[in-house]
This record gives sequence, structure tokens and C-alpha cells, in this order.
Amino acid sequence: MKSTTKKIIALLLVIAAVAAPLAAQAKKYPTKAVEVTCLFGPGSAADLIARKFSDLAQGYLGQPLPVVNRTGGGQAIGYNYVKNQRPDGYNIIWTSNGIFTAYYQGNIDFKHEAFTHIAQVSYEPVSIAVKADAPWKTINEFMDYIKANPGKVRIGNSGAGTFTHLTAAAIENETGSRVVHVPFGKGLAFASLLGGQIEATIQLPSEVEGQYKAKQVRILAVTGADRVESMPDVPTLKESGYPLELILWRGLAVPKGTPADIVQTLVETTKKVVESQAFKDFAKTVAIVPSFKTGAEFQAFLDQDDKTNAVLMKQTGTSNR
Amino acid sequence: MEAILQAFGSALQLNVILMMILGAVVGIVFGAIPGLTYSMGIILVLPLTFNLDPLAAITLLLGVYVGGMTGGSVSAIILGIPGTPSAAATCLDGHRLAKEGKAGKALGTAVLSATIGGLISVVILVVVAPIIAKFALKFGPAEIFALVFFGFSAIAGISSGKVIKGLISGMIGLLVMTMGMDPVMGVKRYTFGSINLLGGVDVLSFMIGMFAIPQIVEAFATDESGIKRKLDTNVSMAFPTIKEIKALSGTILKSALIGVGIGAIPGTGGPIAAFLGYDQAKRKACSDEPSLECVAGPEAAHNGVTGGALIPMLTLGIPGDPATAILLGALLIHGLKPGPLLFQENSGFVYGIYATLFIINILVFSIQSFGIRFFVKVLDFKKSYLYTTIMVLCVIGAYSSHNNMFDVFTMFAAGLIGFFMQKYGFPVAPTILALVLGPTMEDSFRRALILSQGNFMTFISSPISIVFYAFTVFVLLSQVRRKKKTKKA
Repeated sequence: MKSTTKKIIALLLVIAAVAAPLAAQAKKYPTKAVEVTCLFGPGSAADLIARKFSDLAQGYLGQPLPVVNRTGGGQAIGYNYVKNQRPDGYNIIWTSNGIFTAYYQGNIDFKHEAFTHIAQVSYEPVSIAVKADAPWKTINEFMDYIKANPGKVRIGNSGAGTFTHLTAAAIENETGSRVVHVPFGKGLAFASLLGGQIEATIQLPSEVEGQYKAKQVRILAVTGADRVESMPDVPTLKESGYPLELILWRGLAVPKGTPADIVQTLVETTKKVVESQAFKDFAKTVAIVPSFKTGAEFQAFLDQDDKTNAVLMKQTGTSNR
Repeated sequence: MEAILQAFGSALQLNVILMMILGAVVGIVFGAIPGLTYSMGIILVLPLTFNLDPLAAITLLLGVYVGGMTGGSVSAIILGIPGTPSAAATCLDGHRLAKEGKAGKALGTAVLSATIGGLISVVILVVVAPIIAKFALKFGPAEIFALVFFGFSAIAGISSGKVIKGLISGMIGLLVMTMGMDPVMGVKRYTFGSINLLGGVDVLSFMIGMFAIPQIVEAFATDESGIKRKLDTNVSMAFPTIKEIKALSGTILKSALIGVGIGAIPGTGGPIAAFLGYDQAKRKACSDEPSLECVAGPEAAHNGVTGGALIPMLTLGIPGDPATAILLGALLIHGLKPGPLLFQENSGFVYGIYATLFIINILVFSIQSFGIRFFVKVLDFKKSYLYTTIMVLCVIGAYSSHNNMFDVFTMFAAGLIGFFMQKYGFPVAPTILALVLGPTMEDSFRRALILSQGNFMTFISSPISIVFYAFTVFVLLSQVRRKKKTKKA
């Protein structure tokens, strides 16, 4: 009898032990905080948007999504960290075109295929700004000036191989001439523009909007398909006769191998956030365009963007591949 | 006048005052704990600001900024471990004074000078911001290089009389700084295939390690059971006397102006100002003995940066230092675009910022002077408890600077280097100076050459640069002369 009791107890214990994690698993994802890795420092555009996103997503997911800044190494540290996490949906990377920059510069050995992409959240064009008293009134005049003065015009960007640098390179291609690319840190390009050390700077609309409205700078063009809402009189490159469309996209990804149902939950949550009024209002204040893209459509877009980046980085000499 | 009264009116609303107090306390605590900086404090309270009205939000952030700048001096003086890179210069003489039993006095001087420096910077911000902003724009990469070059002349002053060893220490700092990706083209240097080294060496973790680890080792290596404590822990609060303040006033004023100037130039920041402030105080004091002057100098300078850094941010929308870059982002969230437009469309808000900044400085002063008596009590703890706690805080601080365990290893490695450097009489301050100035120097040097398309004449083509080179020569010559004098005597 005694041994039977023991056996029953043992059996119950085993069942309990096996069932406990099962029960835990049965609870719907997420059961704890979901970490969002941001590759840029606090206060940066990427960081601000990520924080707003996670703030809103918490309302739909029911768990907090703390944003953790893992900066440095040309984004390599952050991408590498998330890639090596368990694919359980509790580590999300706040990604962008930057993944191609990091790959082609040789900082990381993987591209977008290393992640399962949840969705695109937003995009923003960049703007080409010159000083308010500069002689060029339109982008066409500026392009002609570059053509007539090869190797003279200095254009500031936010770092070698970054999106703003590649945009300048694409513009350079349109003129068939050469410009001097000057890499700057955050905010410094603008100081040099006003100080007259560079002729133009390529920056995110949110970074120049204030100075544009105060008429310190003139914005010659924006690089998206449509005009920017807060700068209605600035034409796009396409309108001005240059067949270029360059946008900086931002989105979410998780390590490859994350279960499909978890990915689905995240896709749905992202959709809800991006389409919410709160996010739309926020987007206006930081001059980004909310844009939801997922699945095959997003994948095709990424593959295309990969090719564009590869070409431009080779051209600018920033590619090590 | 009416605008000012209105500004103070809006600054004295209950919610704004509460945010000031909260911000100041968070800032002081983050500044005082080695490894936690005001930047982290700002990040921590950032989400809180989303739901506040704009003035309360910016007040909270400014409170952390100003509180954190001054809070760093507490651990620098009492423990010999700077709470923030800006406090590294304060640590030099401040901690030696503390060892002589003058911790309270040193702290009092630090707090007082920091507050005066802060207030001077606010006044300058209010009165002549647009003019200074215009002048600051003249600082292109070539001029910033000249300024930083001048900053390196401070090595002679902070080497405690051992100039050769100081220079070697500086070179170690520069060498360490070159690790990682270069700032211009992203070329990998000394990374040994490690992704973590790609990010370079984290200055904050390295600095904590260099200052803290040797202290901790020393604390545990000495048997204190039989030794009577030399430190005078009864000091509660000791502000400098009127006579001392009079003697210090020149240094404080000069350092505050240095701070405002450095703060206003985009791409520089607190640590540079602090070292320059220390250097000019040391030259005035003209002795290797620790002096209150050399505590007042760096403190007034780096707190002068607070108002200075806001000058380009508010007038041009360009951040003057890393902390203001975060403030800029926070304002953006509230739909406020700093820049000339802010003055035109929201002048009330700008005046509100001025008023709160003024009050925050006084508030931080009151909290600090009230807190000194408690801060000093830290020394009452048994060393084994105290230093174990510090060790834990250092690890947390190093980890949280990038949320990366690698920075903790960096800290320990730096500690080992620092330990041997101190053992063999190499001053560690020049290493920190080089670590802080090095990246800016390299960055501006290379950018200047890109802009001039390789023409080296760019470095001496502007009067501003030439003035700084002249300063450098002057400082070095006066050092040489001092050395000769002391030899004769």
C-alpha cells in the first residue's frame, strides 16, 4: 500500500512538473515584458518613434514594451544582440534601412534575411536644404551648379554610408558630376550649413522643419513620392524632373524562427498602432508618414531596397563587400 | 518686465514646481552615484514627460540636467570617484582636500561655485543668446580642432607636477580612444574581429574603472582595524567664508564664462569646460597643493555649460551637447520646434524656460546644501560595506550605459590599467582628458580636411584658430616658467 501511495504521489508530481510549463504556455503571448532594441541613442528620431510606438502597443498587447538603446559599432552591436536572442517574441528589433548600411560596411555578416520582419511602421523622405540666402532658388538651379562645378559643392550628411549619404550620392548621379560628401554627427551638419562651411545638407524633415519655418534655410526638394505635409511648397525630386524616390523606412523584426502565431500577434498589434489616431497625430509632430506594410509585400520591398543600397554604397566607396 | 513676471508666474505653478523638485532630486542622485549620469536620468524621466504640459515637461528634464551636473561633484570629492565625466576635474583637488579632512568645505565650495556658474549662464542666455549663437556658428571643424588642441594643453596642469608621465597617460587615453570604428569613414581599428570592440571603448565605463577600482583595491588591501580614522566626518556644512568667496570670485566668474562659451559651441560639452576651468584655476593657484580654487574652477565651468548649451538649442535648434540633444527630442514630441520660430510664436514658453532654469539652480543649491551633511556621513560606513556597495553601483553604471555586459569588462580592464598607473605614479586624469577630447579632436580634424579638400592651411586660416594656438603656446610657456621658478626655489 505504502509503495502504491508513493507511486501515485510520484506520478502526480511528474504530471504537475510537466503540466506547469504547459499551462504557462497555454497562456497567451505575451506573458511578460517585450524588449524593443533601439539602435540609436535617446532623443534620436528612431528612439522617439520607437518609444511612442511601444507606449501605444502596450495598450493592445497588455504588457510593457521597454525600449532599450543598444548603440554603437555602426549598429552592429544591437543587430547582433537581437539576432542571438531566443526566437520567442520577447526581443524585437526596431530596424530600418540601416541594416543594409551595417551589412555592406562589413559590420555585421547578415542582412534582413536573418530576421522575420513583422511590418513597416513608417517612412520619411529626406530634404535637401541650403541656406536661406543661397543663390539657388530651385533644385534644378542647384543641380546645374553642381554640374558646372564638379568637386566643389560640399553636401553634409549624417555619416558615411548612412541613408542621407546615399541620397546625396543618388543626386550626384543625376548631375553626372561630383560633390564632396561631408559626414557629420547629430545636429552638427546644420550648424556648419548656417556657418557657411558647407553648401547644402541632407536631413530628415523633422530636423529642419523649425529652421525652414523660421526662414533660416530654404528646402529645395524632398525625396519621397509625395510632398511633405508640413512643407507644402517644397516640390519632390520627381516633380522637378529627377526620377528618384528615396525614403527611410522604419519597422519591426524578430529573430528568425519565432513561432508564426506570435509573429501574427505582433503583426496585428503593429497594424492597430500604426492605424490609430494617436500615432497619426504623433507622426505629424515628428514629420513622419505612418505606413503599414507586411508579409510578401514588405519582403519584396526589402529585397528591392537591398539592391538599391548595394549599388549606392559601392559607388560611394563605403561598401566593403 | 511684465514678460519676466509672467514667466515667473508660469514657472511657479504647482505642477511645474513639483517637476522641478523631482527633476533636481533625480538629477542629483544620478549624478552622485558613480556610473549613473544625468543623461541616464533624463532618459529615465523622458516617458513621464509625454503626458505633461510642455513647460512642466521641459522643467523636469532641465531639473535632471542641472541637478546631475552638480551632483557629480559629491562622489568626486567624498570618494574620489567622479559621478560623471564632467566631475573628473573636480575630483583632482576635491578628493585630496577631503583626505585632509576638508570634505565639507570642498563640497560647500563646489556647490556654491556650481550654482553661481549656473546662474551666470542663465543670465547670459537671457541677455545675449542670439549674439553668442551667431558667434558660435563661426566655429567650424577647423576652429573646434584648435579649441580642443588648446584643451590638451591642460595636461600640463593636471599632471600634478609630473609632466612626462602626464603626457604618457594622455597618449594611453588617445590610444584607447582609437579603438572601434573611426568616426568619419567607419574603418575598423584594433577591433580584433570583436563586434563589441567595434563600438569602441565606452568613456564612462573606462573612467569609472580607472578611478573606482584602484580605490576599492586600496580600501580592501589596507587593514583599518587598528587605524584611527583620519577623516573628519563631523563636518556638516561648510560654505567658504566671505573672504574666501572674494578670493574665489575671479576664478568662478572666469570659469563660468568658459563654460558658457564651450557649451554654446555645438559638438563640445561639459568635460572639456571642466578641464579648462580646472586648468586656469590651477595656474592661478600656482601650487601643487590642493586648493578650493581648483574645486571652484571646474564646478563653475561645467555648470556654466548648462545655460551655454541651451543657447544654440533655443535660438537655432542645434543641440550644444549630448544632454541638450535629448531635450531637443523631448520638445519635438510636444510639437515644439526649437529655433528662432520658438521665440516668435512661443516667446512666453521661452521666458518660462528661463525662469524655471533660474529657479532650478537655486533649488539644486538648497537641496545640495541641505544634503551635504548626509553625504559626508557616507564616510562613517565601514569601508568594507561602503566599497562593496560602490563596486556594485559601478557594475550597474557600466552596464546601463549601453545595456551591454562588455562595458562592465571594459570597466574592470580600465581598473587594472588605472591601478598600475597609480602604483607607478602616472596621473590618470590626463588619460580621461584624452579620452574625452580625443574623439572630438579626430572628428573635427578630419572633417576640416574633407571640407578644405586636403588643404592643411585650413587650420590656420581663421583668426579664431590662431587665437587658440596662441593660448596654447602661452599656457605651455607659463608652465615652463613656473617649473624653472620652483626649481630655483
